[in-house]
Amino acid sequence: MSSETQNPNEDAREQLIDLAADFYDQFAGGKIPELTLPTRTKRNIEYDPDSGVWVYGDRTSTRSANSVRGARKLLKAVYTIDFLAQQLDEDRSSTLRELYYLSESWDNTEAHFSDQDESNQMIEDLEIVSEVTREDLHMRPEESGATLMGPLLLREQTRRGEREIHCQKDVGEGGYQIPNNPDTIEFLDHEIDFVLCVETGGMRDRLIENGFDDDYNCLVVHLKGQPARATRRITKRLHDELDLPVVVFTDGDPWSYRIYGSVAYGSIKSAHLSEYLATPEAAFVGIQPEDIVEYDLPTDPLADSDINALESELSDPRFQTDYWTEQIELQLEIEKKAEQQALASRGLDFVTDTYLPERLDAMGVI
Amino acid sequence: MTSFQSTLGEDAGIADELAQSQREISIAEFFEKNKHMLGFDSGARGLVTAVKEAVDNALDATEEAGILPDIYVEITEVGDYYRLVIEDNGPGITKEQVPKVFGKLLYGSRFHKREQSRGQQGIGISAAVLYSQLTSGKPAKITSRPKGSADAEYVELIIDTDTNEPEIKTAERTTWDRTHGTRIELEMEANMRARSQLRGYMKHTAVVNPHARLELREPGLDGPMKFERGTDQLPAETKEIRPHPHGVELGTLIKMLEATESYSVSGFLQGEFTRVGGKTAEKVLNAFRDRHFGRELSWPVAASHEADIEDAIVDAVSNKGADATESFASGIVEVLGNRERTCRFELAEIVDTVADRVEDETGRTFGDTVRENAIEAAWAAVVAFDSDAAVSTDEAVAANGDVAGADSDGRDRLTSDLYAIVDEATSTRKDDAVIHGFSERLARRLDADAGEERRFRFTADELQRAIEDAADATVEYDEVSFGDTARENVFEALWALTRTVPDDLPKVKTVAADRDTASQLLEAMRETDILAPPTDCLSPITDTLVEAGLRKEYDADFYAAATRDAEVHGGDPFIVEAGIAYGGELKSEGSIDLLRFANRVPLVYQRGACASTDVVKQIGWRNYGLDQPGGSGMPNGPAVLMIHVASTNVPFTSESKDAIANIPAIEDEIELAIREAARELKSYLNKRRSMQKRREKQDVLGRILPEMAEKVAEVTGREPPNIDGAMARIMNNLSVDREVSGTTVTLSVENYSDRAEQPEITDILSAEPQALNGDASVVDMDGEWFLQWSPSVSAGEEASISYEVPEETDFDVNVDGVDAEKLTVNA
Repeated sequence: MSSETQNPNEDAREQLIDLAADFYDQFAGGKIPELTLPTRTKRNIEYDPDSGVWVYGDRTSTRSANSVRGARKLLKAVYTIDFLAQQLDEDRSSTLRELYYLSESWDNTEAHFSDQDESNQMIEDLEIVSEVTREDLHMRPEESGATLMGPLLLREQTRRGEREIHCQKDVGEGGYQIPNNPDTIEFLDHEIDFVLCVETGGMRDRLIENGFDDDYNCLVVHLKGQPARATRRITKRLHDELDLPVVVFTDGDPWSYRIYGSVAYGSIKSAHLSEYLATPEAAFVGIQPEDIVEYDLPTDPLADSDINALESELSDPRFQTDYWTEQIELQLEIEKKAEQQALASRGLDFVTDTYLPERLDAMGVI
Repeated sequence: MTSFQSTLGEDAGIADELAQSQREISIAEFFEKNKHMLGFDSGARGLVTAVKEAVDNALDATEEAGILPDIYVEITEVGDYYRLVIEDNGPGITKEQVPKVFGKLLYGSRFHKREQSRGQQGIGISAAVLYSQLTSGKPAKITSRPKGSADAEYVELIIDTDTNEPEIKTAERTTWDRTHGTRIELEMEANMRARSQLRGYMKHTAVVNPHARLELREPGLDGPMKFERGTDQLPAETKEIRPHPHGVELGTLIKMLEATESYSVSGFLQGEFTRVGGKTAEKVLNAFRDRHFGRELSWPVAASHEADIEDAIVDAVSNKGADATESFASGIVEVLGNRERTCRFELAEIVDTVADRVEDETGRTFGDTVRENAIEAAWAAVVAFDSDAAVSTDEAVAANGDVAGADSDGRDRLTSDLYAIVDEATSTRKDDAVIHGFSERLARRLDADAGEERRFRFTADELQRAIEDAADATVEYDEVSFGDTARENVFEALWALTRTVPDDLPKVKTVAADRDTASQLLEAMRETDILAPPTDCLSPITDTLVEAGLRKEYDADFYAAATRDAEVHGGDPFIVEAGIAYGGELKSEGSIDLLRFANRVPLVYQRGACASTDVVKQIGWRNYGLDQPGGSGMPNGPAVLMIHVASTNVPFTSESKDAIANIPAIEDEIELAIREAARELKSYLNKRRSMQKRREKQDVLGRILPEMAEKVAEVTGREPPNIDGAMARIMNNLSVDREVSGTTVTLSVENYSDRAEQPEITDILSAEPQALNGDASVVDMDGEWFLQWSPSVSAGEEASISYEVPEETDFDVNVDGVDAEKLTVNA
């Protein structure tokens, strides 16, 4: 899926035009234009033993011009294809949000997106059917990319030419910002022992302040909540290309387990890209429900939504392992959740001096 | 109410004193005090009621004379009063009748008729006259020109409220431009607050009388409100019918009995009632006999008793010679022995028959006295019962219904028979002793009540009472249970063994004179199955004309109507009709309009009290596609619902005839009629809804898809594709396409819908088609060729024809037989 050809833009563009040509042929053949996509729900993802990630199953849904809704979707799709083709032609890029606003300028009011969810979904649809990633379509997410901090030297292709950057020495306290398309990065050198993905900014800053990256030769990846694709992609590349172990450190609540899940197994929405984004070898550090008990961490009670989320995870095929079943059931039993920062209750250095070394040791990472 | 009864012990003179102030009240006087009962309770309503009464009369009169009604109503303000003028083109009223018709309450031609008509009591128009005279003091001015008469009569009259007699103020001959008809002019204190009811009344009258032309002028109108005829077809003439036996009440029956010229009840029944012929009359009479005389209980003759009976007969006959006597006695016993059971009057018949035969054979005369003696003696032997000798329980059990009480001095012929009957009729779990005890008591009781000549004649009530008493005694003395079911079963079994007696029924005069006897007759009439009354006394509007009436007065998109078959309530036949108009110009806010009619008369007031309103509210209108807040009550929406009840006697809740009474039989029919019409509405609305959806879809897709195709062409850099096929497929449509290649033209029909379609395609060509290949016909019409083709195309199939025409031929294709929404023509 990655753009390996000489001119990735042209390649992506052709894929899109082919899609439009399919519609054309359907029209000309007296058929009702339609678009078939895999169903993007929890029930339609399955484990692919070859790649070790979760991908879409066989269920598909069809958007057909047979209904008013379907016809509108397809019209928007064609307009979006037109826009993307043009954008690739001019080698420019835009954000998902820009696409939403941009649609307002289209002459046909029927083609305007009614909200950003719709335009985001449209890009996902096109990404799936054209088999061109969003990044190659030059569509960026709105939020700025997450950051890296650690002993890594890389080369990035920027608009102003190639830059070589060391992710400790050449960057400020904020770290190196991951570009939207991490495939433009080339890893040059590193002294990394393992990659530590951290959910919250507070914990990431704590680790940096305590010099954890230096002390343990670790690359700290800030996930910034649910990780952007670029973050997941670079994590996967770090693992695959540099053969580094990846561990994920999050809060101890169901939403954080999903963050781990999307790093390790791929997300439901982008299961078509799991092979490209997911790092099945990534391991979960904590906070584990077990840790809440063991370290007697300050906790919050589980809200109803937390309980629902945990129960939903029990039926999520990605969490059907003994480890997760045990942990989730334990959490449902103790009815408590804890944040990463709860470790501060044992002192600011507790996490870097005690918790992480103990856990990482137990996991065999250090 | 003040009591006029004198109180005991008080001054006896009080009654006399009171009597002095008691006097007869004339009907007119009564009305004066009870105006509201007839719909004249306010000035606003009085005006509407007066118009209503006059118009109803005019319609009845014209229809009766077979004239298409042409009715003119005018209301003008005259100082403080309103003047009301109603003119019709009816047959006119003779000079002698005018004062009575307009100046006497309760005078009319229809009260005594069983026939559907608008007015009935003859109160209406004279009440209007009375109301006008009471409020304005002015007389009613009536002009009438009977058909064929050269001049018209002009009469001014008032009603003398003391005597209920008309008082003529002026009477003269006059000329009138109408060739026949009646005009009445009334002045009354009134107001136009009920204007909408008045207009509604006129409009609704026009709906149910599509054969009438109506015109209304009133001060609030800029121009006259005219309702033109929707049909020239007069309502079917109605026939007067006699009352139905199921529909009369005791008072009426007695009155009819008193008035009839028939001598016998049978003649009376056949002459005065509908659906009663000789056979039905006989059935009624037998039922009457059963009630009047009671039925005779029959008894069996056991073989072992035959000698006994024969001896008794021989003893009773003297001086007839041994042979004749022997032959007589044995003849009777032989007949009795061959019969299962015999009752007293049957025995008498047998004795007569045998006596006649023996007379023939022997030449001996068996006179009445001999015969009666023989009957008495034989009967005494058949039903012998000596209460002391009644077999004891133990014996009976031992004998078990065989020869019981064989002692010739103390005989009991009843108990054992009853024992067998009771045993058969009651539950097998009952103890024999109980059954015997009961049978014995019943035998004793029946014997005691056997009556004159021991005829064992009982009415159903009497027999029932005997069984009840015997059963009660059994329960009390034997301390066992004897339930209602057992009693009922015993009664059924015994009643089946009774026979209708052949006695002569009392004559009409006797029946009329005795309330109880008349009541027995009435009961007999009601109990007998009799055919439903004929319906030619009714004149329904018919569903076609209901629809025509609605169509004429309401600008709607859809009309439906239903006329039910006639049903009967209390001997009066009735027919219910319903009609619905929907959509179009009808107001869509608020609840639907409900138009109620009884015998073609709009019911204006008391909507809430009317049975039809109740029925409408009970129906779940959401099922039929109308909005109904809360799922019950008046539905909302742009609809008019009309209900018409036609009957020889529409049951109203009051004399003002505003609301139909809640009679279940009528309510049921109203509901069925409404549902019948509503079903059509439902399928119309469903179709409309799906058509509307389809149209909306077509609108949107018709806009989007070409744009999409254009954009696709732009993106791919090709010519815009032809999307007609895709469009037709999407719309589930029938697509008609023309393909011209050189001189060859191919017309094709593709059916993308899910059902077979048969389009009627007309292709109009400016040149004559040649080499026609397909099942089409061509007609030359003044230089244009009409090619007609109507293929049957099943779902998903395609059909085509081809022909040759010179190049540059003009085509014009027209497709019928398929809804426009479902058609895509590209030819």
